[in-house]
Amino acid sequence: MTSKPKPTDQPSMQPRALARQHRYVTWLSLSLMSFLALMVLMVYESRWVYPEIQAYFSQTGNLTGQQLSTRARVFLQDAQAELLGDQAEQDALDAALLDIELAYGLADMHIYRREYACAESSLADLDRLGVQLAARNIDRFAAVSMLFAPIQCLTHIEMDQLDRRGAAINDFSESTRQHSQVLTYSSLLIFVMGLVFWWLHERQLRRADRATQETFEWMQRAMRDPLTGIGNRSALHQDVLAKQHQTLGLILVDIDFFKQYNDACGHPQGDTLLRQLATLIGETLEEAKLYRLGGDEFAALLDCPDVATLKRYCHQLMEGLREADFPHPAHPDKKGVTLSVGGSCFVADEATFPYAYEAADKALYQVKTMGRDGWQVTEDA
Amino acid sequence: MNAVALHRSPWGRARDQLASVLMVVGIMLPTAAFAQALSIINGDVTQKVALSDLRAMSDETFTLYDPYQGRDVEMQGLAFRTFLIEQFGEVPPALHFTAWDDYEVTLEGWDDPSWYLITAEEGDPLTIRTRGPARLVERDYTNDNRDVENLRDFNDWIWMIRSIEARW
Repeated sequence: MTSKPKPTDQPSMQPRALARQHRYVTWLSLSLMSFLALMVLMVYESRWVYPEIQAYFSQTGNLTGQQLSTRARVFLQDAQAELLGDQAEQDALDAALLDIELAYGLADMHIYRREYACAESSLADLDRLGVQLAARNIDRFAAVSMLFAPIQCLTHIEMDQLDRRGAAINDFSESTRQHSQVLTYSSLLIFVMGLVFWWLHERQLRRADRATQETFEWMQRAMRDPLTGIGNRSALHQDVLAKQHQTLGLILVDIDFFKQYNDACGHPQGDTLLRQLATLIGETLEEAKLYRLGGDEFAALLDCPDVATLKRYCHQLMEGLREADFPHPAHPDKKGVTLSVGGSCFVADEATFPYAYEAADKALYQVKTMGRDGWQVTEDA
Repeated sequence: MNAVALHRSPWGRARDQLASVLMVVGIMLPTAAFAQALSIINGDVTQKVALSDLRAMSDETFTLYDPYQGRDVEMQGLAFRTFLIEQFGEVPPALHFTAWDDYEVTLEGWDDPSWYLITAEEGDPLTIRTRGPARLVERDYTNDNRDVENLRDFNDWIWMIRSIEARW
């Protein structure tokens, strides 16, 4: 009964918890990164495809969307129409000459000269025709016929350019199809990865919750007496610390001749008596929290403004026991079960509790030395 | 025929030279007749700027790679931004161009000193045949990521300019 409560070591869960937390962050990060990567991939692909499409189709339908060779050919055909038209010769020649000049300007391209053998000769033909028209020393029909070769050349260039454009569009289409496949499969893969990482994250969260719950339950069990279900010595210490600066009463209860009871009735019956007494003390001291400190020793902790109140509680307890009248077949004084009770009042604090415990223990010891079955309170704990 | 050709009389040579001159003038005249001025349109007011005046104002000479000709070309022209300020008082937010080849376009963003209105190349005035009489080029296009092999990248180098209209 003289043993002093020792500070209980709290179970240290922090390093494991941190490690686990780190792992959750990793899964969550991987999941979020997967979805982010999916978005980046889609944006990249759309940005890749859009400029290509724009390069091929943005000018479709306007004049710059037409090939220069096409526009040049149209001007030459316009020149032929002017020459074969009904208007006056002078006007027809002037109009045809302007069309030929325009056609020359559109056809005189480095790329045409480089890629098409007929380009140089056609430009030379146009040059020659222009001179003849300006000098008015060619008749209209001859001029018209001189335009056929350049028109044929420009048509050839047009067709070839269209073929090249078609091939480029086919290449682009094939490339787009491949990119689309890559995009589809990689998106699917990344999406699935994101889901898997998310599932792992959720699983880890559930495990963490379960572990926390288990830890909490384990800590609760560590604070509880398994036989009676009331708190143990650690719980008492913790509760005192939780009620700092409050005026509390501590009542220590010891069962008289409990060893003889066990010897006479057996340990199972002794355990039953312990449970019955725990219930009795709890019912008698309604406002108290109960603890089992050892084999046959209980403690009660309650709000207690003064010693008089504490004495009333002790008296209440003894009266309750008498009314319960638990039999004790081996009591040396032929009584039922009796208790020795000691109490003290104190202001809760880590430093004051050991003194309060000692004072209550001394009071209990005095009761025992005085013949047991009684109570005593230390006035100046 | 060969003898005649080898031993031409002075009169014959003079006649040939005259014919050549007439042919060149003959070619130039219709072109000049079609394109003698650049129309500047500001609202209801249309002003004609004579090509001779435009050429006289062309005080900048520089050499630039012309992707259409596939070579470096010495160009003479004037800063287009300065020209716009002179004509319109300030740089209009947008310009509508018409060209001799029936091309029409409205473009913005001309408050840019790198654009030049070219009137001559290699010392010769631009004609319709050389995509004149006035043409816009961007003097420094190297930072624009334009591909000189892709002529579509140079669609804003407007050719054969016939009129420029301010769009406010």
